[in-house]
Amino acid sequence: MAPTPPTDAELDVFIRARLASLGIDLDQLPAGTAADPETGAPGRDSVLASLRSFVRGTIGTLAAYQLPAPAGTDPVVARALSQQPAPLLYPSISTHWRQS
Amino acid sequence: MTIEQPADRTVDRRAFLARAAALAAVTTAGAVALPAIAKATGRHQPDLDTANAFVKPRPEALADPTELTLAEAAWLIREGKLRPEDLLEAYLARIAAFDSTYQAFNLVLTDQARQAARRRPGRGALQGIPLAIKDNYYTEDVRTTANSYLFQDFIPPFDATAVARLKAAGAIVLGKTQMGPLATTRATTPDGVVTTVNAWTPTDPRTDPGGSSTGTATAVAGRMVTAGTGTQTGGSITAPSNAQNLTGLKPTMGRVSLHGIIPLSYTRDHPGTLARDAKDAAIMLTAMAGEDPDDPRTQGLPDVPNLIDAATPVYLRGKLKLRWNTRIGVTPGFATGMSATALARQAYLAKLADIPGATLVEVPLPDEWDLLTGNTFNNVRLPERSEPFMPYLRDNLRGFGVSLTAWLQGALFGGNEFLTGQRAKLLLLERVLEQTFDLCDVVVQTQPVGFDILGLPEIAFPIGFSAAGVPIGTILGGLPYGEDRLLSIAAAYQAVTDWHHRRPADPPAASAGARAAEPARARLTADEVALLTQ
Repeated sequence: MAPTPPTDAELDVFIRARLASLGIDLDQLPAGTAADPETGAPGRDSVLASLRSFVRGTIGTLAAYQLPAPAGTDPVVARALSQQPAPLLYPSISTHWRQS
Repeated sequence: MTIEQPADRTVDRRAFLARAAALAAVTTAGAVALPAIAKATGRHQPDLDTANAFVKPRPEALADPTELTLAEAAWLIREGKLRPEDLLEAYLARIAAFDSTYQAFNLVLTDQARQAARRRPGRGALQGIPLAIKDNYYTEDVRTTANSYLFQDFIPPFDATAVARLKAAGAIVLGKTQMGPLATTRATTPDGVVTTVNAWTPTDPRTDPGGSSTGTATAVAGRMVTAGTGTQTGGSITAPSNAQNLTGLKPTMGRVSLHGIIPLSYTRDHPGTLARDAKDAAIMLTAMAGEDPDDPRTQGLPDVPNLIDAATPVYLRGKLKLRWNTRIGVTPGFATGMSATALARQAYLAKLADIPGATLVEVPLPDEWDLLTGNTFNNVRLPERSEPFMPYLRDNLRGFGVSLTAWLQGALFGGNEFLTGQRAKLLLLERVLEQTFDLCDVVVQTQPVGFDILGLPEIAFPIGFSAAGVPIGTILGGLPYGEDRLLSIAAAYQAVTDWHHRRPADPPAASAGARAAEPARARLTADEVALLTQ
């Protein structure tokens, strides 16, 4: 059974905790939604709203994506074969050393 | 160096596709012996001293040296008919007259440039040529800000390798150019106020000038410099080139060193050039490209081919032909419709099809193209943004100004999602090679992100104008290391068209009354920047 999606409040706790674990304190930003008048940096509530949307969208979608197995693969082994594709930081560069 | 075959087809795609299973082993095996590399700076660059690097000027360009292309100016300098000092002074005069409107530069190095221009020119097409350098390239002892509060006092102790190579080739750094803060959007101040305008609509800052290499584009289009450098992470060379009637070349990842460039997304940042035509772009890339001991991404790659010859049109019995027979892939819907852009694309394709050696072929977009190049998978770049900036994120969030949100998004990524994105890159590359490039040698592009994700080369060049007089450009994408073929096609197209020779009218004389009538320069918010960021 899929877990219950997190609420806004739960996500706020997660976001603050994750950032704090990296040493990043959102309280450096002005409270509320108004941008910092001097630098244009977003207000704390604005950035939290944006980050909640990001976690629900980008993070969730990427986490759910399963690399495809080769066409015609028996569904019984498709999950296992989807583990095979290699990660590449620089795919274009690899084209040279992959054929050399 | 002579050219027999373009560099792209020397890579056997099927061979490495078939050997994909070996990848993981090679990757995990780690260290690969690297060849000894000559120090990049201070070396002679004979490829810039070939006959095709110099072009006899058009008669109409002789009256005003700022009208000359780089290759034309080089011809005059070589012939002793133009002094670098005079070329520089002509540009400085335009900067003095018009840059208060354009706002293309954030720093003009007048004294240093004059001193450099007084040197006796050596050999090579870049000798005595003034260039604009995007302000995320390190310049030794010269402030390099990336238009960010975070770097407002940063004075690099050395030149970026690309800058050092350009200087070693005799080029003059005329100034540093405005850019989107940290290379995120069109050029603004760090707190989001629009600075640089499109040179084609200088009194209307609402016209998109393209970003984030905006200042370089406007400086070149506004004839305040001959050519310049840019970086592209998500269209930041091709977009401003298309917006301002320029030829922009984003090379394959690794062709140009990233050493000494303030990072935005290190697997996606491509140093390249914005220039007036294909020949000028070839000259610039010839100087900038090559192995760098300070950047492993540049090492072990195919040799840089003769780009300048590639960008020289070929004639057979007086009739233009493509240097290499080339299948030009056209994706579904590229030229469909009656909009000004669609009509320009139709005319462009027809013109290309008339050049012997060009064959237009319909090609599909690879499976899941929209998903794998869309916003979600594009966001995989964001941890590359946050990781090198962690010290700044810990103690100076406000210093990121309107650009902050994407850096915090990157910090929220988990390793799982990041690796899924890296695996998807290989999947996307294989599909592009198998499903698109099996049918063609180059392919039209309607947006640059897919090829930016993959690190594939792209060239942008002008193909017309809207009814309002704003440039319309197009992009061609190529195979890895296929810059020479891309240049050859753009050069042939430019041999039968004159869009690239058209220049914008000068801005009206600056006056308080005229300024008051112009639309205000808007201020982007952090939310807008989060949507627009490269």
